[in-house]
Amino acid sequence: MKPPAFEYAAPASVAEAVALLDERGFDAKVLAGGQSLMALLNMRLARPELLVDIARVPGLDSIEISGGCLGVGAMVRQRSLEFFPGLADSHPLLLAGLRHVAHPQNRNQGTVCGSLAHADPAAELPALAVAAGAELVIEGPDGKRSESAEDFFITYLTTTLEPAELLVEARFPLLPEGSGWSVQEVTRRHGDFALAGAVVTMRIADARVADPHVVAFGVGAVPLRCTAAEQALAGAEPGPAAWKEAGALVSEAVEDPLDDVHASASQRRSVAGVMASRAMEEAAARA
Amino acid sequence: MSSRIPNSLEELPVSEIRWIGKGVERLEDPSLVTGRTEFIDNVVLPGMLHCAILRSTYAHARIVSIDSSAAEEMEGVYAVITGRDAARLTNPATTAPEGWGAYCLAHEKTRFVGEPMVAVAATSRYLAEDALELIIVEYEELPVVANAQAALAADAALLFEEHGSNVMLQRKFTWGEVDSAFDQADLVVSDDYRWNRLGANPMETFGCVVDWNPADDMLTCRGSFQSQSYMGLARSLVLGLPSNQVRMISHPHGGSFGGKGGFRGVDICALLSKAASGRPVKWIEDRLEYLLAGAGQSWDREYTLQLALKKDGTVTGLRVKLLDDMGGTAEAFGAVSAAKPLAAFTGCYAIQAAEYDLTLVATNKVPQSPYRGMGPPPHNWVLEQTMDKAARELGLDPAEIRRRNYIPADAFPYTIASGNEYDSGNYEAALDALLDMADYQKLCAERDSAQAEGRLLGLGLVNTIEPGVFDWNAYAIVGLESTGVPEGITVAIDVMGRITARLGFSLEGQGQYTLVAQVLADYFAVTPADVSIVYQDSLSAPPHFGPGGSRLGVAITGAALGAAHLLERKLARVAAVLLQCGPDDVELMDGFLRVRAMPEAKMHFAEVAGAMLARSDLLPEDIDPQPQATYVWTAPGRTPADEQGRAKSYLTAANACHLVKVEVDPDTGTVDILGYWLVDDCGTRLNPVTVEGQTMGGIAQGVGAALLEEYVYDESAQPLTSSFMDYLLPSVYEVPRVEKKALTTPSPFTPLGAKGCGEGAMHTTPAAIMCAINDALSPLGLSAREVPASPRRLWKLLHENAD
Amino acid sequence: MGERKISRVTVEVTVNGRRQSAELEPRVTLADFLRVELGLTGTHLGCEHGVCGACTVLLDGRAVRSCIMLAVQATGHEVTTIEALANEGELHPLQQAFVDKHGLQCGFCTPGFIMAAAELLERDPDPSEQALLETLGGQVCRCTGYEAIIESVRDAAEKLRQRGVGPLGLLAAALEKKAAPSGNGGGE
Repeated sequence: MKPPAFEYAAPASVAEAVALLDERGFDAKVLAGGQSLMALLNMRLARPELLVDIARVPGLDSIEISGGCLGVGAMVRQRSLEFFPGLADSHPLLLAGLRHVAHPQNRNQGTVCGSLAHADPAAELPALAVAAGAELVIEGPDGKRSESAEDFFITYLTTTLEPAELLVEARFPLLPEGSGWSVQEVTRRHGDFALAGAVVTMRIADARVADPHVVAFGVGAVPLRCTAAEQALAGAEPGPAAWKEAGALVSEAVEDPLDDVHASASQRRSVAGVMASRAMEEAAARA
Repeated sequence: MSSRIPNSLEELPVSEIRWIGKGVERLEDPSLVTGRTEFIDNVVLPGMLHCAILRSTYAHARIVSIDSSAAEEMEGVYAVITGRDAARLTNPATTAPEGWGAYCLAHEKTRFVGEPMVAVAATSRYLAEDALELIIVEYEELPVVANAQAALAADAALLFEEHGSNVMLQRKFTWGEVDSAFDQADLVVSDDYRWNRLGANPMETFGCVVDWNPADDMLTCRGSFQSQSYMGLARSLVLGLPSNQVRMISHPHGGSFGGKGGFRGVDICALLSKAASGRPVKWIEDRLEYLLAGAGQSWDREYTLQLALKKDGTVTGLRVKLLDDMGGTAEAFGAVSAAKPLAAFTGCYAIQAAEYDLTLVATNKVPQSPYRGMGPPPHNWVLEQTMDKAARELGLDPAEIRRRNYIPADAFPYTIASGNEYDSGNYEAALDALLDMADYQKLCAERDSAQAEGRLLGLGLVNTIEPGVFDWNAYAIVGLESTGVPEGITVAIDVMGRITARLGFSLEGQGQYTLVAQVLADYFAVTPADVSIVYQDSLSAPPHFGPGGSRLGVAITGAALGAAHLLERKLARVAAVLLQCGPDDVELMDGFLRVRAMPEAKMHFAEVAGAMLARSDLLPEDIDPQPQATYVWTAPGRTPADEQGRAKSYLTAANACHLVKVEVDPDTGTVDILGYWLVDDCGTRLNPVTVEGQTMGGIAQGVGAALLEEYVYDESAQPLTSSFMDYLLPSVYEVPRVEKKALTTPSPFTPLGAKGCGEGAMHTTPAAIMCAINDALSPLGLSAREVPASPRRLWKLLHENAD
Repeated sequence: MGERKISRVTVEVTVNGRRQSAELEPRVTLADFLRVELGLTGTHLGCEHGVCGACTVLLDGRAVRSCIMLAVQATGHEVTTIEALANEGELHPLQQAFVDKHGLQCGFCTPGFIMAAAELLERDPDPSEQALLETLGGQVCRCTGYEAIIESVRDAAEKLRQRGVGPLGLLAAALEKKAAPSGNGGGE
């Protein structure tokens, strides 16, 4: 389990990184924390000719709150975000979600943006990004662009990132005042990828559900924004009946879920609904 | 002085026992916690090359051609070998059952995914793996035998054409009047079960460094060998070398649990070393190799079990039918696991009529290897699970049906139907202690009220026997027919009066060196820190086997006591000369050789040893002047197996009773362990702390077996669980905290009354958890009869089979 | 960077208080750099895909998997391995606690557990059950069943609290002491 040979570059700026990526196209791969990539390299399942290590680019490790968003730079380690002062107040959903990501020993090295760019549909961070309505700031040869997380994920391990583009920042809007939130998932063991999970945010206004966001993960090729469930929830009276109905809509929305040694497709579909219902209940209680 | 080796603490030559039976700190720990222990991957030899192995991607295929020319020409590559070299230079592996072995590299055809095809030796592991990518193997696919049922089909492809069948062994063993027990039964309870493949997965995989000296044809193998001499003998057979030209040097290993393996790796490295003019070649099996085709796959079983009962719950007959998928060859001695249940076939129960209908078949999966427990864990589960089913049908509590069938405490030694003799025990006392400790009545009430609310909460109460101190005769039915397993220790005193014990096994975690030091420290009235334990290689050490079969703790106690006793007699003879009295007038007490009738006339053993070393000229000629002695211990009274496989095999029978509380989440199929209690009795506890460590480790592995661990293959025998993301080892979150209590019924047959306990809870935990899950499911009329009870299986049971 | 020749990079890293530099292929993992180049074989390889934690070391005080990290990624950083813990034959309180509480059997996973625990106790001298589980949950042990490991870390935490020092504080003090009189190799 030793990686194949590759070249290595440690550019000093985003522009330099993008130039390298542009020059080498699909033969180059970005290295951030490496928590997914390095395992693939050790198994020789990935064989880039060039690794572009963005850890030496100044400024990519900043976390800041501005314009109603929590901005997380490309080299921000998951653990650094977890320890970001005040995160429990400023973005409790992200904090709760991060604690489900693998183990501290992985989060110390793994980056938030790296997980988004890797786009494993069973991972928590892509689902959190979609649920929170994150905007992803992408830099390429033609300059900067921004894309919503919901549009960013295309399919398994695939995003809209072009080979020469770099995800430089993820901007997570702060939850509106009075929001409740929840992350629920089923794993074989603590820290494993989810068999199925759900992220829910909502407010309660005038004893009715307002502004619900429901995202299921681990059940399809990308994090699944469940608009039917959201529509059913919006204006509904909070309670088990509403959670059950909306949960069922989540299950219905799941198309062609993964069937593997850990869970069957029908189980994933069903459990996604259960997790969503449980997340709705918890989010409502927090709202 | 006594002329007999002491076999109780009272007989030791000290006025106070200070070390045996105490939680003595382990001698090996400082080196381990500082990272200084020399595991095999730390070994670097001059000129050493690194081996990487290209493995079969097909489960069953003819090898059409292999082109390794580009790899051979790569810079840094010193040798490339294929199955053709193996067939030219070696013999196929010796196996049990006999005649189901292959060469270390696949020759002509491959029988499982991951089978070694081509091996490369290069100057680094990185380069060796690069070279593998340059090798082209052309395969012609053969029909695949993907499971045991497929192996038995009339038109099944054959793994070994020369046998004309995939059946390695098919035989029915009958002990007692089984048919009449079933004919006369008030009730017959029967069920089918499936136990899926799982395995050892020690944190350190196998590794070796091998050099084959072309000058003198001496083969030196360093590695994490669990049983170096046994491994060495097998290498001499495979490689065609005289046994005394194979030197095995065993390094401490990072766990084993029976599943270290490495036979093929050593042979491959030997051939590579020969091809590279005798350079040492290192192979460290990586985790993907281990999961894909290492020695970590065991017990792939389909069971049918039947109990014959009287109305009162007395079990009068037991029938077990087992179909076991052994994989592509019998090279790793996995068949032993099908034989070992004979040592405790009827568990804790006095069932004198039993039958074992055994079929072992070859399939295109990885050959089975041993794993902690060596076969009984699945057997115990199906027996205990069926006892629960019988209890349910008879309206008896699980505790009550067990109690009614126990071998009574006054019946020991007790010969079970399958021929082994249990040494001692008090099963009812263990049960009562457990029920009392856990407040069983309260737990039952809690379970009942939870179930009344519709919660799937259940209790599992299980008791088992752990056969301890293995003997080959237990495995006679699969072709290993010898009797007696030696373990030797040499104890020597140096000129400074310090004690050194020399022995032939390396450490793998159970703390045996510390145990030897405890025994010798008490014998000679010193401290364990005064005793050095020195490992010796296979050609230097006294006769030995090493760890395996819950044996070593008992065996080394016997060997250390025996050697100490022989040394004491030598010292006494010399002391008698020096103190001018008869040798029978001298005894050892508290470290001094003293005149029995005149205790103040005494010499410290160090003085006596010093005299032997310095002034042998003063001693009578017939005295051997070396202050050292060797004793080789074997279990007493073992008998060869009869034609029905019956033998006095395992010397001891430890007993454990576990109770576990679980809750099943019906929405997700997951299981939470909410409580765990156990009482166990493994005789005298020579080091209670290490015994408890074995118990807890066994529980963790049992949790893995019941809920997490499984090697999954698809319908073309392609493995689907080849990383730690898919083969799931229990973490700290999954292993419960356990409330424990120890009982002590000493063994009358072993030195100091200890029983084998190294496999411990692995015998019991899987059964206990499964019985608890089935108790939880019982209100729904469902039963989980496949291990592991993964969320996938339980969810299917709850949602797709519910009717 | 020529097309065919194997590229090399310079790795410059402080390991256990000593500056090290080496010319390596970029693909060399931190674990292999430590074990093979520096001979620090106390860091073990159990799975090489970042799951088991046997290879856990500290990078600037944070526990990381050295098997899924390139040596070159550590350039400019400080790496601490199990070899740095014992001071002139005296076991570090974490090491001593594992001995005292029988927190190990085969010991192969132990250096990883100790390094992970060191990070935890440095940040949180009196960790809750949940904090302990979170850290230990990222390390796999096949021998002990974990109970004794939990007890070991608790015991070490208590001893360290009594001494009023964190596990890494203790280490830094020892390294400084070692570096000062030698005037050779240390001295940052």
